[in-house]
Amino acid sequence: MDQLLPPEIVEASQTFPAALAACGDLDALLRLKGAFVGREASHATRLMELLKTAPKEQKRELGAAVNGLKQQWEEGLKARQAELEAAKRKLGALAAAWDPALPPPQPPRGALHPLNRLMDRLVDVFRPMGFHVEEGPEVETEAHNFDGLNIPEDHPAKASSDTFYLAAHPELLLRTHTSPVQVRTLLRVAPDLAARGGIRFLAPGRVYRKDEIDPTHSPMFHQVEGMLVGHGIGMQHLKGTLEYALRALFGPDTEIRLRPSYFPFVEPGCEVDVSCPLCGAKGCRVCKGSGWVEILGAGLIHPNVLAYAGIDPGEWSGWAFGMGVERMAMMLSQTPDLRLFFENDQRFLKAMGGLD
Amino acid sequence: MWIERKVLAQEILAAAALDTRQLCEVLAALGFPVDGVATLEGTEALDVDITANRGDAMSHRGIARELAAKLKQPLAPIPTGTVSEGEALLPVRLEAEACPIYATAVLELGEGVTPEATQSFLRALEASPKRLPAVDASNELLLRYGHPTHAFDADAIRGAVTVRWAKAGETLVTLDGVIRNLTKLDLVIADEAGPIALAGVMGGDSTKVTEATRRVLLESAWFEPKVVRATARRHGLHTDASHRFGRGADPAMARVARDLLVARLQAWCQAKLIGAWTAGAVPAPAAPVNLDLPLLARVAGEAVPLEAAREALVRLGCAVSAAGDRLCIAPPTWRHDLAIAEDLAEEVLRLRGYEHIPSVLPPMEGPPEHLAPAYLLRQRVARRLAQLGFHQTVTYGFISPEADALFAAPDNPAAGRTLANPLGYEYSVLRASLLPSLKATAEQNLRQGSRQVQLFELAPTYRSTPAGPREHLTLAAVWGGVLGGEDYLSPARAVLEADLAGLARDLDIPGLPVIHRLADGLFGFEVELDALPRPQDRIIPVFRPFSRFPSVERDLSLLVDLSQSYAALHQAMTAALPAESLLELRCVDVFRHKSLPEGQQAWLLRMRFQAERTLVGDEVDGWVSAALAAAESLGAKLRA
Ligand SMILES: [Zn+2]
Repeated sequence: MDQLLPPEIVEASQTFPAALAACGDLDALLRLKGAFVGREASHATRLMELLKTAPKEQKRELGAAVNGLKQQWEEGLKARQAELEAAKRKLGALAAAWDPALPPPQPPRGALHPLNRLMDRLVDVFRPMGFHVEEGPEVETEAHNFDGLNIPEDHPAKASSDTFYLAAHPELLLRTHTSPVQVRTLLRVAPDLAARGGIRFLAPGRVYRKDEIDPTHSPMFHQVEGMLVGHGIGMQHLKGTLEYALRALFGPDTEIRLRPSYFPFVEPGCEVDVSCPLCGAKGCRVCKGSGWVEILGAGLIHPNVLAYAGIDPGEWSGWAFGMGVERMAMMLSQTPDLRLFFENDQRFLKAMGGLD
Repeated sequence: MWIERKVLAQEILAAAALDTRQLCEVLAALGFPVDGVATLEGTEALDVDITANRGDAMSHRGIARELAAKLKQPLAPIPTGTVSEGEALLPVRLEAEACPIYATAVLELGEGVTPEATQSFLRALEASPKRLPAVDASNELLLRYGHPTHAFDADAIRGAVTVRWAKAGETLVTLDGVIRNLTKLDLVIADEAGPIALAGVMGGDSTKVTEATRRVLLESAWFEPKVVRATARRHGLHTDASHRFGRGADPAMARVARDLLVARLQAWCQAKLIGAWTAGAVPAPAAPVNLDLPLLARVAGEAVPLEAAREALVRLGCAVSAAGDRLCIAPPTWRHDLAIAEDLAEEVLRLRGYEHIPSVLPPMEGPPEHLAPAYLLRQRVARRLAQLGFHQTVTYGFISPEADALFAAPDNPAAGRTLANPLGYEYSVLRASLLPSLKATAEQNLRQGSRQVQLFELAPTYRSTPAGPREHLTLAAVWGGVLGGEDYLSPARAVLEADLAGLARDLDIPGLPVIHRLADGLFGFEVELDALPRPQDRIIPVFRPFSRFPSVERDLSLLVDLSQSYAALHQAMTAALPAESLLELRCVDVFRHKSLPEGQQAWLLRMRFQAERTLVGDEVDGWVSAALAAAESLGAKLRA
């Protein structure tokens, strides 16, 4: 009988039980059904055409074979459909029995250090204004840490009671601020400052001062330095930049306030206050009721600092600021003890750090 | 410095009209923030923060002068008596330029003590009254007018008084009873027997005023700030006087303060003035400073009219002349901080108020620079580690010599990385490795009850070189404790070395770093960040075609010796397989159990094949047989 049928249909018919078993869901079964008994271009329609054109003497035998196959396929499909439908009902029942309150497997979740996060955030805030990041070594020379910054020869900060020095290299120290990065960067860019169109950068990093460890002091802490050099730069540009940056950090309603102050490497110098981000300037414990919190020190770059780097202070001017990262982190988080930032308890880090 | 409101109001009447909050705001706007307000001795006092450049403001008169300039209100006149100078009663010789003027007087003391009001003022400002009028008056003058003075017991002075450099080997017992060994860099007041005071710092014990003192010799001088600072530092002797002289006192106050001191002693204890005279003179002022209006406009952010600038500077005590758009300014004798045009521009801004500075974004003059690849790499590594469950730590860069020695390379001696003046022994060496700090932090976390500890740090490590410690930005990660077991689908197991190897691979660390066993179940590794591949410049890599034909997977379970090298087996089997069709060959399970033959283990090796055609079963079977044969040649057997 098989010799009456085309070989591909014979083969399909032989693999049918396996194909039926391989149908894992009702969609797959539907596709298989279409291929075998569908109304168009299926094995069954081909068989019907074959039957129509068959010679009279073969019609009877062929007709019986075709009907047998069709019946076999249809019964198989029906049975498998019943199986799959039953399985689907069972899966549904299982799904309904799953208790979603059971703690599911948790993907791992670590944290960046809150101080690094804060520094990264500052970089993000200044990037749109064209600032990039400059870095320098923590072991510095007296020249970069003090002399290049217009800090007088006999300044108390140079004393060994304030600054760590290297035993084998008395001229080397652990930088006491990120400001030596100013000196290094200005020295480097001075020759082609005009071609660059000035420079603007942030310098985040670790600094060291000889303070005993207590709830508000640490011999190592972090600063973010900012600097901009250009033509005709004045206090208005310092104010404009900081207003933009601090609003990006603390929200659009933030106000800033500049107050005169003194740092040897700037003139004029100022302290910058920001309207208290914790109470919306209404007055709270953090701002001691004043509505303002001191956030950073800044000013216009002292002409001696530019001149030290070989930049003509008659042509160029600029501003600089320096911000204490721990101080800001403590203020924003109201962390009561600075030492927590260096203890690195995972519970603290997880709670304070986050991933981005 | 504490400023008593009542006394401040005596210096500037207008201050009395301000409430405390207003007064604090005006002072802050002038650059003198108030750190605290307290009621001392029944009167309100402000703790005013005075920056190091403003020695002139370190007194009630100094603060009043600032307020007067800001509020455009008059200062009270200084009530000097009428001391007329005469012949010197004893020679006062000024032998050093560091002391250009020395006003003095000799008085015979009568009966009487320091008035209660003055004692209370001194107590309020934490300067305990001595009840000796000459001493208390000197202290009161210092706090009120900012000019340090001194009174010697005139009868203890032998012969002429000289202001001179000390001679090597000379000593002086200062008022605090300490013997000071003097150097040629110390300026002293001396009589004919030797030093009797450290100039501008502290008087000597042998000439101090006591209750027995009958006659006093007053000193009201001016000393070079640098000299006083150096002496105070050399002797570790920081006094109210050295503070003022060190930051620059007003030379014009020398005579005035002497007169005020005389007047007080006359009033308080019927002292009789025997004679008053002055050696030297007020030094010539520094050269005037020019301030050009364009510079002022640049600093201020807007044009400031010449007249407004001139008027502000005059209010501060400057003598100002104008020519064109240039002001020529002679600062007052009390200001030592006005040396360049920018200093004066700041003064104009300060009196106008910084709140008037406009807010402007600086224009871009050139293209912005990119973030450095090393910086981006560090950010990427930190974020990846945090996503993988690690916590970033920040630990001190200096550690104890013992901790440092644990991981320091032999060619990296600690001597080149040791601090001269550490906080303590345990903070004395710039670390050669981050691992000691991370180990301690991890153990601390485990002690605190963490089941699993996952930490990393990105920080410099130091290598000793002849030129000093060289910094290498380093990544260290530690991992320990128990993994999983926190939910019903993840079994618990100990963290193993292999976990760190997987981590290193995830971070694209080339080769396998040394995995250190830091403690039981605690492992770590460390690499210099330069060893990691830099982020690629391409946003996305070049397209490489991949097969869309299904891949075929086959597993081989092999019995191998416990000593079998996986690398060797992997290499042999790979060599036997068609490179163009082999996607991957890896060991996916290791089974070690007593049910296996002695000295053997079972490895489950998984092979994945793919080609630009549908792979036929027979073909793949042939490959697998070849791989098995290669494994068997190394002694492996197919596990039944
Ligand atoms: Zn607040």
